[in-house]
Amino acid sequence: MSAPAGAQVSVEKVRKTFDHVSALREASLRVEPGEAVAISGRSGSGKSTLLALIGGLEQPDAGRVLIDGVAIWERPHSAETRRKLIGFVFQRHLLLESLSARQNVEVPLLGARVHRAERRRRALSLLEEVGLADRAEHRPSQLSGGERQRVAVARALANEPRLLLADEPTGALDSVTSERVLDLLFRLRERLGMTLMVVSYDHSVGERADRTISLIDGKIDPTAKPLFQH
Amino acid sequence: MLTIIRTNLVRQSARTIFTALGIAVGVAMIVALLSFTQGLRQTAAGLVHLGGSGLGVFQAEVSDPTASLLPESIVSRMAARPEVARATPLMLVVEAVKPAPSAIVFGAQPGGFFTHGLVVVAGRRPATGAAELLVGERLAAQLHLLPGGTLAVDGHPFQIAGIYHSGIFFEDSGAVLPLATAQQLTGHPGLVTDIVVELSSGVRASTAAKGIEAAFPGTQVITDPEQALRAGANGTLISKSILVIVVIALIVGAISVANTMAMSIMERRAELGLLTAVGWSPLRVASLILGEGVAVSVLGAAVGLLLGVIGGNLLVRALGVSSYVAPSVTAWALGRGLLVGVAIGVLGGIYPAWRVTRMTPLKALSGT
Repeated sequence: MSAPAGAQVSVEKVRKTFDHVSALREASLRVEPGEAVAISGRSGSGKSTLLALIGGLEQPDAGRVLIDGVAIWERPHSAETRRKLIGFVFQRHLLLESLSARQNVEVPLLGARVHRAERRRRALSLLEEVGLADRAEHRPSQLSGGERQRVAVARALANEPRLLLADEPTGALDSVTSERVLDLLFRLRERLGMTLMVVSYDHSVGERADRTISLIDGKIDPTAKPLFQH
Repeated sequence: MLTIIRTNLVRQSARTIFTALGIAVGVAMIVALLSFTQGLRQTAAGLVHLGGSGLGVFQAEVSDPTASLLPESIVSRMAARPEVARATPLMLVVEAVKPAPSAIVFGAQPGGFFTHGLVVVAGRRPATGAAELLVGERLAAQLHLLPGGTLAVDGHPFQIAGIYHSGIFFEDSGAVLPLATAQQLTGHPGLVTDIVVELSSGVRASTAAKGIEAAFPGTQVITDPEQALRAGANGTLISKSILVIVVIALIVGAISVANTMAMSIMERRAELGLLTAVGWSPLRVASLILGEGVAVSVLGAAVGLLLGVIGGNLLVRALGVSSYVAPSVTAWALGRGLLVGVAIGVLGGIYPAWRVTRMTPLKALSGT
């Protein structure tokens, strides 16, 4: 796999409200290419919303999100941007139960219309990367929680993203499995050079990241003391 | 994509089966009706070309050609026309043979070309003035009749003089009586159902039809099966019924598929959200939904085609109308059934697919 360079992320005075509740209030942030950023904050502080807006899963009410200097919602298709630039890992692994681990990893490639043989080759290579080569044809129900999340990591990397967004990737895992998944995420980021943004309550995420930002009531507060320290 | 479609349909197998069955019933009705119409067309062809004639002259504006009544007196005048080589009158007696209600009894002149054209394969021709008749080979086989036996027509027993073959489905499934006897049985002395005409050499049927209709106002000349179907109100009714049933099947089937797919989308919001999150375009996700709709419909259509063919035949036998209508399945009828099935899938999948394109990935992922 070729090593993609990381993407630069700029969040400029972004606001987002859900059902009259402000999730983000004029949040601004800049992440340099290849940087690993941990996002901390209490429940409801707007961490997941920030990540969703950066990933183009939702449109901001005001402000802009720029990836490599281009506003994500100003690109011709946000789906295309996600497909070409961004990989997601969610708290719930969200694997398709009816498909095997390999087929799940192939799903983003299917959206990119990659040829069948190439899809298979890349999926198997990624499963090997996350240590699940021998589980390629297993269904999610036949895998442990940690294994499912590793499949989800492999799926996030399928399109060789330049920005990897992980929303509480270890939230549903025990401490030992969490460590393994975090090891994997940061090792891959190191090797592939992508930009990594991780929302987590896990202290060890902050320890591994280059920088930690804290969100309080929908605002990024550079002066606020993060929940976990470097 | 096909793998995902297949696994999604298998995962909700009960829902898939019931939706497909609903579509199957609609498609089966269409195929059965189309095969009935084709059968009717063939029956009508037999009616037009009774006795191997070129055309048939009926009373105009009747609900059904078998309800036609013409005065026998016009036969000789018609036979004298230059475009006519020979003409012979027929009286059709319907529903007169109790054990085979669909059998038609033909009252024909013993000396006419209709009777002469029948090939007697067993027994002999009826003796003049005797209460005898000829039985078609299909009817004889159906009722296990033999020369020397009896057959009751309209409650009156007739001795079977012989068994005949004509090669025309209608005729071979019926019986032949002298014209005068048939007129007596129906209470229409001096009247006939139709006059079958053999054209002079080189005369076109359409030209002859125009001449005859002009010379005998109130008559209707039928030269081809389509015309026979149109002439009868029943044929028109069936043609219109097919159109109505096709439209109903399309609407009901499409609503059924739309409902199934909409429910499926509600349950699979997170999954569809994931697909958009990993970069599937809204169009591609919509194609997945549309593809599932079409797959269910094609499955239903395939079952429907089978049901239509088998059910049509069973129904005709159960109703005892096999002499009137023998369902005839054509590739076009099957193709139309399949086309309707696919159309149901496309129409039913459009709305759910559109809904998918309106969902933002985050909302879909959160399942709200």
